[in-house]
Amino acid sequence: MGSGRSHDAARGAETGPSPPSAPADRLFRLVVESSPNGVVMVDRRGTIVLVNRETERLFGYGRDELVGQSVEQLVPGRFRASHPATRQEFFANPQSRAMGAGRDLFGVHKDGTEIPVEIGLNPIDAEEGFFVLASVIDIRPRQQAEAELRRSNEELERFAYVVSHDLQEPLRTVSSYVQLLSRRYRDRLDTDAVDFIDFAVGGVRRMQHLIADLLLFSRVGTRGAPLVPTDMQAAFDNTLAGLHAALDESQATVTADPLPMVIADAGQLAQLLTNLLGNALKFRGTEAPRAHVGATRAGRTWTISVQDNGIGIAPEYFERIFVIFQRLHSREEYAGTGVGLAICKKIVERHGGRIWVDSTPGHGARFSFTLPAADGVS
Amino acid sequence: MAIAAPPIEIMLIEDNAADVRLTVEALKDARVANRLHVARDGVEAIRMLTEPDTAMPRPDLILLDLNLPRKDGRDVLKEIKQDEALRHIPVVILSTSQAEQDILHSYRLGANAFITKPVEIDQFFEAMRSLEQFWLTVAKLTRP
Repeated sequence: MGSGRSHDAARGAETGPSPPSAPADRLFRLVVESSPNGVVMVDRRGTIVLVNRETERLFGYGRDELVGQSVEQLVPGRFRASHPATRQEFFANPQSRAMGAGRDLFGVHKDGTEIPVEIGLNPIDAEEGFFVLASVIDIRPRQQAEAELRRSNEELERFAYVVSHDLQEPLRTVSSYVQLLSRRYRDRLDTDAVDFIDFAVGGVRRMQHLIADLLLFSRVGTRGAPLVPTDMQAAFDNTLAGLHAALDESQATVTADPLPMVIADAGQLAQLLTNLLGNALKFRGTEAPRAHVGATRAGRTWTISVQDNGIGIAPEYFERIFVIFQRLHSREEYAGTGVGLAICKKIVERHGGRIWVDSTPGHGARFSFTLPAADGVS
Repeated sequence: MAIAAPPIEIMLIEDNAADVRLTVEALKDARVANRLHVARDGVEAIRMLTEPDTAMPRPDLILLDLNLPRKDGRDVLKEIKQDEALRHIPVVILSTSQAEQDILHSYRLGANAFITKPVEIDQFFEAMRSLEQFWLTVAKLTRP
């Protein structure tokens, strides 16, 4: 096929050019050759001037079957006719960018198989001429992983449904009849029998709480509202109103910085604050609980922190406390299912942020999480 | 204790045997004399209500579970409320659902009350007692 000036020059660069630039060229060739992406360099007329090993593997051609040929050879038949025009457009306005933004792209293997790909385009303005360096990624492994993830998420949703409907029903029956035994025969039973019934009732109740919390957890991902500009101050005020009784009872003081507008699901934001402030009250020290909600901004991100004066957490548990059903205390010390912070983590991650804790045992804890700012200006 | 009046005829439409018995036990504690008639699915319920030669007199009160085999509780409710001869009978929905849409939908179909099957038995017995109150004060007015 056509071998114009630029083509020859580029091939020269590939096979061993003039001595002064040799080290740079060797480096270039090594970088291109070892790239995990398929690399295809094309000149102004669409002729392939350079390919790397991954391109050979991806498309099933040897490099001598590609270099000197039209790049359209790698384009599936149904797109081949329109490709040269698209190529011209790029040369008219050469900028590094992803090819076919938003569209599904395909390459075609030597055996005719279409390969879903992602392609990055980079203009190269060299002495030898003007080229496009295309970086080609086979996205089949990623698509497989995504499909697998979708399947597993759907499975989890079905599981949550089964838990809510099919397990709660028999559990309610067990609960009802053990309670009926207690209600009707308590006076006629000895203390052992009454104890046994109380343990059974307690166990059922705990299981009901676990199931309810598990549902709450699974719904963070599946039943969330859209993420929109949200007034965190309002979410905080609502949270305080909801915690009113608990705050009064524990004589707690909660203060806050002026809170910003963030991109969030208002309901989940309130749930997040409720769980964190609820923990500040629950894991109180000897003094009356105090909590402060702080807000600091870096770039487009707000970091919100909830500082308390409670019992604190040892550093070795900083990660573990965010895992579902992990608890650091016996149920006799502190009630709970070990789901609260796992829900917090899931909410924050759904918002694209992260959550962590700093603490010295005996000196309170500070939970921090990041959320995107609503104005989005850095 | 029993008031000097004929017993209330209560119809329970419920497929879960454990829940049937629980209602029976709760009504045993009732202060008003009552007779309970049970249908175990929607089709049986409609037959008992519409065919005159069944052993059940026309009920004064219907307790209806929403999730039933063969004919769904919502359809049973709709049919009762569309039947000239039955529509005056108060229908109380018994359901495990706390979903607002289930509750609203039931009222839209003409339900007279909605009781969420409670987890705590004391709540359930309390709910049945308030049903009695409901009957003695409000529903009585509809009795011929």
